[in-house]
Amino acid sequence: MTTSTTARTAEAIELTGIGKRFPGVVANHDVDITIHTGTIHALVGENGAGKSTLMKILYGVQRPDDGTIRVDGQDVSLSTPADAIARGIGMVFQHFMLADNLTVLENITLGAEKLHGIGDDARTEILAISRRYGFGLDPDELVESLGVGERQRVEILKVLYRGARIIILDEPTAVLVPQEVDALFANLRELKDQGHTLIFISHKLDEVLAVADDITVMRRGTTVASVKPGDVTARQLAELMVGSELPSPSTEESTVTDRVLLEVEGLELRDAAGRPELTDIGFEIHAGEILGIAGVEGNGQAELVETLIGMRQPVAGTVRLGERDISGWSTRERRAAGIGYIPEDRQRHGLLLDAPLWENRILGHQTRPPAVKAGGWLDVGGARTDSERIVGQYDVRTPGIDTTARALSGGNQQKFIVGREMSGDPILLMASHPTRGVDVGAQAQIWDHIKQARRQGLAVLLISADLDELIGLSDTIRVLLRGRLVGTFDPQHVTPSELGSAMTGADSGADSGSGDDA
Amino acid sequence: MSTAVTAPPPVEAPAERRSRGLRFGLYLAGGFVVLCLVRVITGADELTSSGTLAVTLTATMPIAMAGLGGLWSERAGVVNIGLEGMMIMGTLGAGYFGFHYGVIAGIVGAVLLGVAGAGLHALATVVFGIDHIVSGVAINIIALGVSGFLAEAWFSDLEGGGPTQSPPLPTPFEINIDAISGPANTLEGKHWFLISDLASVVEMFTKNLSSLVVFALALFFVTQWVLWRTRFGLRLRSCGEAPAAAESLGINVYRYKIIAVLISGGLAGLGGALLSMVSSSGFQVGQTNNRGYIGLAAMIFGNWRPSGLFMGSALFGYTQALPFRQGTVSVHALLLLVALLLVAIGVVQLLRKRRVQAIGAFAFGVLFLLWYLVTDIVPRDFTTMAPYITTLLVLALASQRLRMPAADGQVYRKGSAG
Ligand SMILES: Nc1ncnc2c1ncn2[C@@H]1O[C@H](COP(=O)(O)OP(=O)(O)OP(=O)(O)O)[C@@H](O)[C@H]1O
Ligand SMILES: [Mg+2]
Repeated sequence: MTTSTTARTAEAIELTGIGKRFPGVVANHDVDITIHTGTIHALVGENGAGKSTLMKILYGVQRPDDGTIRVDGQDVSLSTPADAIARGIGMVFQHFMLADNLTVLENITLGAEKLHGIGDDARTEILAISRRYGFGLDPDELVESLGVGERQRVEILKVLYRGARIIILDEPTAVLVPQEVDALFANLRELKDQGHTLIFISHKLDEVLAVADDITVMRRGTTVASVKPGDVTARQLAELMVGSELPSPSTEESTVTDRVLLEVEGLELRDAAGRPELTDIGFEIHAGEILGIAGVEGNGQAELVETLIGMRQPVAGTVRLGERDISGWSTRERRAAGIGYIPEDRQRHGLLLDAPLWENRILGHQTRPPAVKAGGWLDVGGARTDSERIVGQYDVRTPGIDTTARALSGGNQQKFIVGREMSGDPILLMASHPTRGVDVGAQAQIWDHIKQARRQGLAVLLISADLDELIGLSDTIRVLLRGRLVGTFDPQHVTPSELGSAMTGADSGADSGSGDDA
Repeated sequence: MSTAVTAPPPVEAPAERRSRGLRFGLYLAGGFVVLCLVRVITGADELTSSGTLAVTLTATMPIAMAGLGGLWSERAGVVNIGLEGMMIMGTLGAGYFGFHYGVIAGIVGAVLLGVAGAGLHALATVVFGIDHIVSGVAINIIALGVSGFLAEAWFSDLEGGGPTQSPPLPTPFEINIDAISGPANTLEGKHWFLISDLASVVEMFTKNLSSLVVFALALFFVTQWVLWRTRFGLRLRSCGEAPAAAESLGINVYRYKIIAVLISGGLAGLGGALLSMVSSSGFQVGQTNNRGYIGLAAMIFGNWRPSGLFMGSALFGYTQALPFRQGTVSVHALLLLVALLLVAIGVVQLLRKRRVQAIGAFAFGVLFLLWYLVTDIVPRDFTTMAPYITTLLVLALASQRLRMPAADGQVYRKGSAG
């Protein structure tokens, strides 16, 4: 506290000439960044630009091949996260770093037991933070049972709890809804005022412009520009990043047909303890229609998708795909019938991280060509060729298809999954946060792919925390609140803020909305 | 902003945790009552005689120690199939140090030799990243060879010893409270339902109760407390669940894994000491007789939790003890017990809507009941198989949701965070 006046002018972090090479890729080269104490510094750049790698270097997870790191004016060598933590650095990773079988409390207190112990004091503290930011987390719940949004909140709570002086946030907002983002930003500003330094990575440029004091742009492994948020627009920033225009999603003429493709009726789901998770869910999706589901994570989105793909068994209700009742079908049968599935957590459900891309191509398609031949034999050649196609068509930045999935940047992993799920001409796509962590350029591409498929009759169930995406893509939007579908909105006429309040049940929008429901 | 987010209502987790302890107590009590019932029905009084219980306890504890060792190591993510070998080292240590330097030295020596074996395992698996099973099997083979070789070198020339066994060892201090055990014995003789059976239990704890057994029992509570209530325990478990996450929070994963494996070996060594100083009168080559593996099985049966693992070990211990107490009659009575147990499991599984397991349990239950009804005694061969068959059936059909540590058995390399 006494240092805050002097520290304000000082540099919290100075990175000079940082370089890092992986087999076949230069992840970072000649990176120079200066981050001032007591500021929010945003780092933006296209997928695979090297942002996460740089932050991992700063957090001691990976060692740089070249360059120097200075923290608070001192040259440091960070060889483990423990070194970085000792210097007051904290980090929220792009991909969750949580132990499933430990409780929220255990995950948060781990490594920081000195602060409030691991018992009731810690519980009180966690509840206090959680309440303050509207996180609604239960300290004694197992992380295993949490959805991506809740996991993200736990991750953020982890650093807030530690009160690190320098906080790195690698895409913390990718699955948060606007209200949560606002709460988080209010908090970040507060931390900044207390003299903390924050480094923030995001692909949502409006957010970046709203919260950052300085912005550094990275491209192809190095820093290419430093700008102030007041001097640029989101469009200009996007151009700096990817050298292309900022897309604005908009629905063209409707392609909705009158052929019902997915029909869900009276779906009920309970958890192990018998508490209702989904209640009386019923909707239809027509061929060529995108149904958007809006809602704050934890209100049943994940459960809905997992039930529809057959990973969880409902206690009541029917699901029809076209003419067929698929309620009793296994996940494999459902997928073979043409359901594509983009899972909410790409690393948990979408990929074999240590398998090469071409093997990952076969995942979920193990019953049909081009990956598998009749009789169940793998068609390695087919899988490889098709992987090449995905890498090209979806602009997956990778040295090759023999690279393991783990070595891809987060956004590129996501692009590969989208490409895989769109292949084999699915008739229904269930997409949870399909563009999570994907840069603006690639996002537009993915939207185009989805729209194109829709024109050919693809039905889509879209779940997204990005309200612009939801409004821009959907033909109809339904709101999911506490496991019930509570409102229907026409994306042509709804504003994000209306949708936002319906999602939290904070206003009467839900009631007036459900009025349209036939 | 505080009302902005709607999350599902929080669950009552602390209550769940409390109920787990309660459930354990209920199972134990329920099982005991059924046992008493079977004794009364069959008239096989050895089922709950204080003698049987005493043998059960001494048979249980070595297995339980191996299991507890497995628990420590697997909770930190290292599969320790080398427990058998570490236990062998323990028996050897107890034999050598116990004979030359007395009881305490024997126990300490056993633990230290177990730790030495574990050191090898830790070095191989944690530091060099060798597959856990490969290293464990190697340790078992090495330990077997070493114990045979050293036994011959150390004990051949000693009076009362031989190339495969040590002279009789001193026994750890035994607890006797005659004022209680006397009346309990009288009460036991009456063969009253439940009362006499409880008296046997009291007698078991007050007559010739080895202090080492008490110590070993206490270790269960210590383990429960350390692993689930202390910072050290949290860190250790985090290494078994998500080592990358642990490392990203500044935890030295290697250190915790190594410590866990060493503790594991120490416990297995203690199990060895129990075998050669309490269960029998001295060290013998091959004395462990696969109890290390059985301990691992008990740990899995117990879902990687101390209470469950103790129940599993007791089940093994009991079915191992019974053949020695009027075996053919007692094991015959055991058939009825198993039949009842399986039917009970069937009911529980039915309530949980697990139809396959329920049907299986009922089917085997009926089979065992028939077997019990149409025969009078059980062939001697079967009595030695009884422990394994019983446990296998219970394990297969009671299948709860087994949840091993998520990163159990995986080799972790430093720097894998992120
Ligand atoms: N462990 C690794 N092994 C091999 N290559 C890697 C590894 N980690 C990252 N890379 C490569 O380094 C480059 C930079 O990746 P990085 O994760 O830093 O990108 P990013 O800017 O964070 O992208 P995104 O926005 O998609 O998260 C990518 O080309 C990636 O393939
Ligand atoms: Mg990244």
